[in-house]
Amino acid sequence: MKIKNNFFEKSSVYNHKNNKNFSKTHEKYVKKLKIDKIFVLFSQIFILILFLGLWELLTQLNVLDSFFVSSPSRIIKQLQIMIKSETLWTHTFVTFYETVIGFCLATGIGWIVAVILWWNEKVRKILEPYIIILNALPKIALGPIIILWVGSGTNAIIMMCILICVVITTMSLLSSFLSVDEGKILLLKSMNANKFQIFFKLILPNSIPDLMSVLKINVGMSWVGTIMGEYLSSKAGLGYLIVYGGQIFKIDLVMTSTFILCLLAGSMYFIISLFEKRYKK
Amino acid sequence: MKNMLEFNNVTYLYQTKDSEIFALDKINFEIKEKDFVSIVGPSGCGKTTILSLSAGLLQPSSGNIYLDNAPLDIKNKKVGYMFQRDYLFEWRSIWKNITLGIEIQKPNEKEKKFEFAENLLKKYDLYSFRNKKPNQLSGGMRQRVALIRTLVMEPKLLLLDEPFSALDFQTRLKVCDDVYDIIKKEEKTAILVTHDISEAISMSDSIIVLTSRPAKVKDIVEIEIKEKTPLKKREDNSFSGYFEKIWRELTNENKE
Repeated sequence: MKIKNNFFEKSSVYNHKNNKNFSKTHEKYVKKLKIDKIFVLFSQIFILILFLGLWELLTQLNVLDSFFVSSPSRIIKQLQIMIKSETLWTHTFVTFYETVIGFCLATGIGWIVAVILWWNEKVRKILEPYIIILNALPKIALGPIIILWVGSGTNAIIMMCILICVVITTMSLLSSFLSVDEGKILLLKSMNANKFQIFFKLILPNSIPDLMSVLKINVGMSWVGTIMGEYLSSKAGLGYLIVYGGQIFKIDLVMTSTFILCLLAGSMYFIISLFEKRYKK
Repeated sequence: MKNMLEFNNVTYLYQTKDSEIFALDKINFEIKEKDFVSIVGPSGCGKTTILSLSAGLLQPSSGNIYLDNAPLDIKNKKVGYMFQRDYLFEWRSIWKNITLGIEIQKPNEKEKKFEFAENLLKKYDLYSFRNKKPNQLSGGMRQRVALIRTLVMEPKLLLLDEPFSALDFQTRLKVCDDVYDIIKKEEKTAILVTHDISEAISMSDSIIVLTSRPAKVKDIVEIEIKEKTPLKKREDNSFSGYFEKIWRELTNENKE
């Protein structure tokens, strides 16, 4: 006797590509989706143009004082000056470098600590209060200690970046590791799997979506850490330019650096999203 | 026929912080090779505990368990466990899911096992789905994939922990038939834990009725229905008689 399973096959996924004969209603629906998408994109661009346009206009008309709020045209001028003097690249590169190193180290260390804590329940229980306190502590308070211990400059900045990202990375990943369905672990145990196999066959692949969201959070957090580090002690970098510009009342410099920061942080987030989409496929 | 599984005065106590839960009280039974046995009992009486003990996931507090006439040892890999939910790994294809056991146990004749897995898929009409992800399959199909994942390791004893309870009634009857058919064809010994008395009667050669906690064996009912498939067994004249008998034993228990 052969098992008939027509009953089940009917419910398999209805594939878009294999069937081109759709009803009018479906065509309408797809069209509506497209129009909605275009509308959203258009509105986003419109808001940006409106914002920049108003800013420029109001400063030109002297409604706003461009000494305090700068203006798009002054930012472009400032950018040109910085490109000519080549300071743009050095400062941007310094900050970018510090952030990427801090981001990678923090994610790596946070992941390793999370694995250790998952592996050993005793260690996890013992360290729990310390991790909670570390998480609650405002890391900027450790600034002077960091400078004393690792010296001022790049090391201190990367250290600050790591401190800000690492605890939250560990906590998110650990809770992801621990959230795995007990039944799935039992299934592997019934196959006589060891802890090593449980981790690599189940816990690790199951945590990938959470790892992606941790990466996204860390993109933001590592920029916070780096800029804070540069506020604390630095000789170069975008954070340095912002503090310096503020001190000498050069708002153009502050705004330009902030603008570059926006671009960099945005593109880093975008790269991680691309990476995530690729994984999902 | 020889015994596949034997419980000899098995007692089990769960330890918790506040108390000790007396789950099983001197359980005795024997299951013959190629038999299909169901375990029914009031909910929370320790049915799943019996399966966990049979799988070697728990050790009895006292008493002995013999599998294939030797003391039970999880390392012998003779037992396959099928759970209430399919527990398919969403990130793995169907093929990767059913060969999970091979990856973990790393048997000597890997190629042979892979071939066996492929044959099972072909035999039970899942071969064309081998590269699909579990979320592209219906609940009934997923449950069959879970069964094949268990069968790939060629266990001597199959443990089924309410494997149909997550399915809707119609699918349930169908999958019940399918699973029964697969188990009989592969000539496996099976223990089914269920809440559903009619499911137990329709699938089993005998039914172990347990008392409420601490569970003892109250009765072992032999089911003698000539029909071949669970669906047809449900239509047999003697079906309701069995149902009533077991129902009475379970409800009398509750009154005590």
